[in-house]
Amino acid sequence: MEITHKRLNRVDLLTIKGRLDAMNAPQLKQKFDELFDQNRYRIVLDLAGLEYVASPGLRVLIEARKRARDRKLTDLEGGDVRIANLPPRIKEVFDLTGFTSLFEIYPDTVEAVGSF
Amino acid sequence: MESLTVLATLKSLAQISAFVNEASQRAGLDDHTAWQVELAVDEAATNIIQHGYDPDHPGIIELTWRIEDDRLVITLRDYGRRFNPDDVPPPDVSSPLEERQPGGLGLYLMNQLMDQVRFDFDDTDGNLLTMVKYIQPHVSVDVREFCLSGRLDAVGAALALAPVHQAIADGAAYVLIDFGNVTFLSSTALRSLLLARKDLLERNGELRLCNLRPQVREVFELTGFTQVFAIHSSRTEALAAFGQEHV
Repeated sequence: MEITHKRLNRVDLLTIKGRLDAMNAPQLKQKFDELFDQNRYRIVLDLAGLEYVASPGLRVLIEARKRARDRKLTDLEGGDVRIANLPPRIKEVFDLTGFTSLFEIYPDTVEAVGSF
Repeated sequence: MESLTVLATLKSLAQISAFVNEASQRAGLDDHTAWQVELAVDEAATNIIQHGYDPDHPGIIELTWRIEDDRLVITLRDYGRRFNPDDVPPPDVSSPLEERQPGGLGLYLMNQLMDQVRFDFDDTDGNLLTMVKYIQPHVSVDVREFCLSGRLDAVGAALALAPVHQAIADGAAYVLIDFGNVTFLSSTALRSLLLARKDLLERNGELRLCNLRPQVREVFELTGFTQVFAIHSSRTEALAAFGQEHV
């Protein structure tokens, strides 16, 4: 798995490529922890290059979104972890596990970043 | 029968996937089915690695695969803690984020992705997990598949079933609807399904339904519609039935 990070003005963009399985999930969790430690709670995940996801990876995603949403950035708005470019096979796992309705999913990164 | 023994560590997952992908290839599974098998075995192995053994003192996992008629049979044996699948409540995949419990997904996925999952425990022979995937029969007709989810109440049914009716209007004759993620079924939804069935029968087509949850199945049973609709326990079984017999 390869994670690249791009810091935008208000949003952090993480591009995740390869396999997000039990072996690699802690690496992604660490990346989220780093961002949260820097008080960065608006995060977009570009999953276009994600080839494979297993439940430990899903767990990291759900826990990250919970933490981000619990963080109130203003009175009205919390943080969030939003998703762009969900490949069909990853979407299938999301559908099977009910994750499709747990995340805001956008067709591309421009829309996802702009949604914040 | 082919076999592989690995140390129960996360580093072994790649080797396990390679072993299983080889099995799928030899069984002639298509890409999509091979991926389902890979994910199910990956989840099973991860559970053994993370919960079966003490991560500081990992034991071994013995894997085998064999082809029996139209089935690919994969086994995983370990000598760690005994695991009772009944102790793991299935995740509520329709619950909202705040209430969502992150556990239990691995076992849930194994059950969703494989046609059979079975656990046997023995004090000397260890824990044996047997998973079966049917090798897809050739589907002789062009089947349109729909996967519905959520609550099919009056509003939800109209939205969810619109693409089905559209496909039928566009000429589809063989339609499979997967109800695996449907949590509620209203009379509006039933009427809509009856209509779809009638339209398909008129052109000698077939409507088949699969993966009904118990509470949804009950609606069919209460209304006597289990006799009317062709209901299958799995997608594989439903696909195999298309074009074979009349509904």
